[in-house]
Amino acid sequence: MAIIYPIITLLGLMLSIISVIKRSPLFNFIGIQIALYGGLKGVGLIIPPLPGQVILMYMVMSVFAFLIYFSIDDKTFKRFLEPIRSVFVEDDKRIIRSLVFFFVPILAGFITYWEVKPRFEPPVSARIIHPEPSTEIEFRGKTIRILGLENPLRKDVTNLPQHIEEGKRIYYQNCLHCHGADLDGKGHFAQAFNPPPLPFRGTDTIALLPESFVFWRVAKGWRDIPEGSTPWDSSMPAFEDFLTEKEIWEVILFIYEATGNKPRTW
Amino acid sequence: MRIFMAIILILFLPLYAFSEDEGKKLYDDWCAQCHGYKGDGKGYSTDFTFPKPRGFVKGIYKFHSTPSGSPPTDNDIIRSIRKGNPGSSMPPWKRFSDNEVKALVNYLKRFSPENFESPAEPIKIGKAPRVTDELIQKGKRLFEEAKCWECHGKSGRGDGEKGWQEKFKDEWGDRIYPANLTYPWELGNGSDMEDLYRRTITAGIEGTPMASYQDDLKDDERWALAHFIKSLQLKRKLGIALRMVKVDSAPSSTNDPIWGETDYLDLPIGGQILFNPRHFTPTITNVRVRGVYTDSEIAIMLEWVDKKPNKGDDGMPSDAAHMQFPSKIPEGAEKPYFYMGDRRRAVTLWQWKASEDSAREYIAKGPEVVTEQERQDVKATSTYTDGLYRVIFKRPLNTGDREDMGFEVGRFIPFSVTLYDGWNKEEGNKGVISAWYYLMLEPPMHIKVYLLPPIVSLAVYGLGLVLRRKLGKKYKIK
Repeated sequence: MAIIYPIITLLGLMLSIISVIKRSPLFNFIGIQIALYGGLKGVGLIIPPLPGQVILMYMVMSVFAFLIYFSIDDKTFKRFLEPIRSVFVEDDKRIIRSLVFFFVPILAGFITYWEVKPRFEPPVSARIIHPEPSTEIEFRGKTIRILGLENPLRKDVTNLPQHIEEGKRIYYQNCLHCHGADLDGKGHFAQAFNPPPLPFRGTDTIALLPESFVFWRVAKGWRDIPEGSTPWDSSMPAFEDFLTEKEIWEVILFIYEATGNKPRTW
Repeated sequence: MRIFMAIILILFLPLYAFSEDEGKKLYDDWCAQCHGYKGDGKGYSTDFTFPKPRGFVKGIYKFHSTPSGSPPTDNDIIRSIRKGNPGSSMPPWKRFSDNEVKALVNYLKRFSPENFESPAEPIKIGKAPRVTDELIQKGKRLFEEAKCWECHGKSGRGDGEKGWQEKFKDEWGDRIYPANLTYPWELGNGSDMEDLYRRTITAGIEGTPMASYQDDLKDDERWALAHFIKSLQLKRKLGIALRMVKVDSAPSSTNDPIWGETDYLDLPIGGQILFNPRHFTPTITNVRVRGVYTDSEIAIMLEWVDKKPNKGDDGMPSDAAHMQFPSKIPEGAEKPYFYMGDRRRAVTLWQWKASEDSAREYIAKGPEVVTEQERQDVKATSTYTDGLYRVIFKRPLNTGDREDMGFEVGRFIPFSVTLYDGWNKEEGNKGVISAWYYLMLEPPMHIKVYLLPPIVSLAVYGLGLVLRRKLGKKYKIK
C-alpha cells in the first residue's frame, strides 16, 4: 500500500510544474505540498517510516516557508490569491463557487464530528522490556550477588552435556507451555498471557543479555521487576519457588545451547 | 555390472546414512523432549501436557488422509510437523527445511517399519458442494442419525454422554475427550472443509473412538455432515477491551435476546502456572464475555464450554468461575497483580460455584490471602445447556460498600477471569486464568456530538459569504 506515496509525490510534482508554466503560484504551492507529503510518507519504503508527529512538523514548516516565499513579492502574492478571489466573486466561476460553498462547510462539519466523537481507547502502559536487575537477590535465604555473576556450570566441562540435557528436561516441564517447544515464545498457553512470553530464538532477547540477568529473571519472575516493567501483568513465575539454583543454571545453559545463542559477556 | 552397482552403492550409501543420521539428530534435538528418545511418547513433557504426546512405536498415526487402517502418507506426517496439531502442545515447525522434515519423516517411520510396508494413497476427494441451508440441514439430520451426538453432544460441544465414560480412552490407554466442534482452534486434525470431510469423517482418527464413516455414509452425505460441522464453528473475537452499552433493564435470563445484540470478547485462557499447584493440563481454552448496564446495575455474562458439568456432589470439585477486578479503579497504569492481586493492591473476586449457583464476593491480596467480604452485593444465575455454561453476574453500579469499587461510566476498568473444571479436578490455584482485559461502560452519546458539526458547517458557510462580500468590494474598482 505504501507504494502509493511515490505516486502522490509524482502527481504533486506534475501539478507544480504545470502551475509554473501556467504561472499560477497557488497551484504551484499546492503541488509542492502534495509532493512533499508523498515524499515524507514514501521514505518509509526505504528507511523506517517517520512518525506522524515528525511529518506534521515538517508539513507545517513547509506551509509557512512557502507562504512566506510566495508573499514576498506583491505581484506574485496577488497572482497567488487570484484563483481564490475569482472563485469568490467572478460571475463565470459560479458553478465552482456553488460547489465550494456546498462542500467546504460539509467537510468542516464532518471534521468536527470526527474530532468531537468520543473515542474509547483503552489505556496503554509503556513497558521497559529489559529492566535494571537488582545487584543482589535473596534466593531461598541465600544472598546472591547478580552483578558479575557467571554460570558456574560452564566450568564443569566434563559434565556439560549432562547439565544441558537436564536443562532440557526442566525446560520442557516448566517453560514449554509459554515459551514454546521451539523456544520461539509461541507455547500453547502463550496467547492467554499479556505481555506475551519472550522468544529465546533470534538475536534480540537472551543473546543481548548476560547470564546473570537471565538468572535473575528466572529466579524472581514477576515478583522482583520494577514498576516500569508492569510487574502486575507479567506471567513469568518466580522460579525460586519451584527450582533449585543448579536447576535454574541448567535450564539457562539449555536455552542458550538450543537457540545457538551466546550470553553477553561484556 | 556388479562393480558398477557396487560403485553406485558406495557412492549413495554415505548420502543415505547421512539422511538417517540427520533425521535422528533432528528427532533427538526437537521431538524427543515430548515424544521420547525411543519414540514411545514418553518424553520429558508427557505428564505435563494434555493431550499427551504421541508414541510412534505402535505405528498408529491419528491424523491421516488415507483410508482407515492404512498408514499415513509422508505428506500426512509432514503436515502434522509443519502445521502442528491445534489444541495440543505440538506447534507448527516452520524452521526446518523440506529436506530436514523429510529426513525426520524417514526416521519416524523406522519406529514402526512394518506399518509402512504397504503404503496407501490418500482418499480421493471431489470438489466440495456449494454450501446451502438445505445441505446444512441434511448434515444436521445425519449428525443425529449417525449418532455423532453420542460423543460430540447435541450441539457439537464434545459433551456427549459417551465421552465422559471412564473407558473413553485412546489406543495408548490415555483418557481423551470428544472434540468440541464449535472451537475450531482446538481441532488437532484441522478445521477447514477438506480436513473435516476427508481427514476426519472419511478417514477417521486412528487409535481413537472417532471411526471412519467411509462405508457408513455416502459421499454426498459426508459432505453435508462436514458442512453442518463447519457451520457450528465459532469465530473467536480477540481484543483487549469490551464495550458495554446501556440498556433499560438488565437481563435476568441467559437467553434474553439482549445478549445476542451486545458486543463480546473472547479471552484465550491458559493454566495457572505461577503458584502451587501449577496447572499444566487444562481442558478449557476460551471464555466469551459480554455485558450491559443500566442506571443502577451492571450485568456480565460469561460463556464457556465444559464437557461435563460437576456440581461437587460426585467426588469431584464443583465447576466454578471467578470474575476479578481491582478493588480500586487504578488511576495510572498500575494494577494489582493479574492473578489474585498482591499485598499492596487488592482485587475483588466474584465467585460463582455450580454447587450453589450463587455468587460470593471475596477480597484477595495474593492467592493465600483471600477473605470473604462482609457485605455481599453480587448475584449470579447460570444455565448449562449442551456443554455450554452461561453465568450472569449482576451488581449495583455503586454498592455503598467501602470495600467495593464503583463502576464508573466511561472508565476503562480492568478485569480478568478464572475458570474451574471440576471434572479436571480444578479448584484453588489449579484453574485456568486470563490476563487483564478492560471493560468499559460506554457513555450514551453526548448531545454536542450531534450539535457541533452543523454549527461549524453553518459558521464556515457564513464566513464564506462574508469573504465573498469583502473580496467583491475590494476588487470591484479594478
